[in-house]
Amino acid sequence: MSLPLPIVGLLLPWATSALLALVVRPYRAPVGWVSVGLGLVSLGSAGVLWAAALGADTAFAGRNDLFRVDALSALVAMCVAIVAELAMCLGPGLSAATPDDARAGGRFRLHGSLFVLAMLVAVTINNVALMWVAIEATTITSALLIPLHRSKASVEASWKYILIGSVGIALAFAGTVLAYFDFVTLLGRRADALNWSLLMHVAPSLHPDVLRLAFVFLVVGYGTKAGLAPMHTWLPDAHSEAPAALSAMMSGVLLAVAQYAVLRWKAVVDLAAGPAFSTQVLLVLGLTSVAVGALSLVPQRNYKRLLAYSSVEHSGLICLGLAFGPAGVFASLLHMLNHALAKSTSFLMAGRILHRYKSAEVDGVSGLLRTMPATGALFAAGVLALMGLPPFGLFVSEFLLFRAGFVSGHVWTTAAALLLAGIGFVALASHLPRMLYGNAPASVAAGEPDRWMLAPIAACAVAMVALGLFLPGVVGSLIGRIVESLGS
Amino acid sequence: MPLVFSQVAVLGSSGVLLCGIILLWRRGVPAYISAFAWQSIVLAALTAAVGYFCDDPQLYWVAGLLFAIKGLAIPRLLRKVARRFERVVEPPPYVNTATSLVVSGLLILLAYAAARPLQAIADAPTRGGMPLAMGLLFVSLFIIVSRRKAITQVIGFLMLENAIALLAVLGTYGVPLIVELGVFLDALMGFLVMQIFLYEIHDTFSTLDAGALNRLKH
Repeated sequence: MSLPLPIVGLLLPWATSALLALVVRPYRAPVGWVSVGLGLVSLGSAGVLWAAALGADTAFAGRNDLFRVDALSALVAMCVAIVAELAMCLGPGLSAATPDDARAGGRFRLHGSLFVLAMLVAVTINNVALMWVAIEATTITSALLIPLHRSKASVEASWKYILIGSVGIALAFAGTVLAYFDFVTLLGRRADALNWSLLMHVAPSLHPDVLRLAFVFLVVGYGTKAGLAPMHTWLPDAHSEAPAALSAMMSGVLLAVAQYAVLRWKAVVDLAAGPAFSTQVLLVLGLTSVAVGALSLVPQRNYKRLLAYSSVEHSGLICLGLAFGPAGVFASLLHMLNHALAKSTSFLMAGRILHRYKSAEVDGVSGLLRTMPATGALFAAGVLALMGLPPFGLFVSEFLLFRAGFVSGHVWTTAAALLLAGIGFVALASHLPRMLYGNAPASVAAGEPDRWMLAPIAACAVAMVALGLFLPGVVGSLIGRIVESLGS
Repeated sequence: MPLVFSQVAVLGSSGVLLCGIILLWRRGVPAYISAFAWQSIVLAALTAAVGYFCDDPQLYWVAGLLFAIKGLAIPRLLRKVARRFERVVEPPPYVNTATSLVVSGLLILLAYAAARPLQAIADAPTRGGMPLAMGLLFVSLFIIVSRRKAITQVIGFLMLENAIALLAVLGTYGVPLIVELGVFLDALMGFLVMQIFLYEIHDTFSTLDAGALNRLKH
């Protein structure tokens, strides 16, 4: 056995699901159901990895150390598996109420599964350059899905996404090459020079100046994928034009995967060059993103774009947290999990709303609680969570994040971020009541089709609240272990 | 021997960079495609030369792949796209030729400044070429942001990839083969997807002017 079973269980279902969608043509609904079932297998495997990561530094490693799962991998893999399962349940090709043409269903199951597979490979592989290959593959697979229903806007959005995303990620590869150059020059050629496990080990003996230069390239590169301003320009377009199930995955977890790469590299660079440099870089990028995200929310009238800009804001907060010392990293990782749940809920519900009201404008939607009570309530829950209100988990993680900022001495930056988050709060709060209450337009039929679809979302909402009421031991100790292993 | 090696490295890197700058003053997509094809061929030759001097047979494979994929296959596909859209009038770039050349000169100076820590620790005979590779990286980024036509932006992106490949071969004599293969696969897939979008943009917007892609604002 060259690979431990849980890693196979995490990855193989998605490869199988993609293969099935490729072979069974034209697309039929059972393919979709099988992909949902396979997603559950993957989710279960992520749970096994999580449990194992609680007890050991390296939960699982494949032969030749090709794959390696530690606590950080387990956390992000779990986020990906949850959101992917939600997206597969609500994505094109299953609902009787939204009979997408068979072509769209088949394409979504094929490219969507490959997209998830690429994200999961990225977080479980040990080699930094192969992780780069996997993250680049996420760009390719998801760009093909954005114009699922072709229109000028969606073609434009996917062009911006693939061009800016590819250029950004190419810069991250330049950073990887520079780090490898540093390794080879100082320590000689080794086949495993690009493995995380080894890089963390030898980092203190690498040359700090070269690693600083490499880090700039890496942060700009992966930051582009993470939606950090000023490289975020593709994000609002791609996230608002993509089909809802893809937006949920891109916004909920693709950003987290990119942040994962930044965090891994930050740990290496900090060991070599001290934390001062990476802290400065992350503070600037994080605060810029929070500012751009929050201020762009104010004039925005399109609810999918509102959610997209909120992703820029939250991505900026996560980035800030990474610069706030160990307590900040803890808060950031908790925030990542909470954001994945809340943002995917909001985007998936926004997709249902868009389908019913045929309008992506806030002004075009009213009386949501009357026409679609369950969808409306869950959408409200998602947006309220994104605003950072209790009792949702994002309130706790934002609170921890800002506290870490004040405690670590970044008083002005934290105060500015807090003010900006307040502006974002008001902007979102001003739109939500208009959508929920009032009278629905006469053309919009009432009723809630496919109620079963909302069950997984409701479970997700329960999890969001649970994370806000108390911090479950399994979550807290896993994140604690990550912070410890990064040595930050 | 090291002297010849370092001269070959600098000469080859200069050739690769020069092909990138040619794009800035030639007009017309066919000329851009030729510049890219020649750049890839020079890069492949340089990679093979490094393989010869370092006695590393793996680099011959990389050079062969570079030549086949980026020197022959991708330029051929690009020419096919260009022929299909022959009657599309080339929109003027955002920055005129004279300014472009001045900017690229400044970018190469910047690259020399940025590459100082690299040269400080490198002892390989190829280190003289590393600032040139960084220079090409910056120039390619400039091409992408200053050109309006989507196909030219794709060529700029391909040159950016060449710059990184050059940096890798000069600094580290090539990344491990499994990584190299992954990168080639991604580069090829990425290009093919971009090519699909070139057709999609043309079909939906009736132009390849990326400046026309401005429906989505705010």
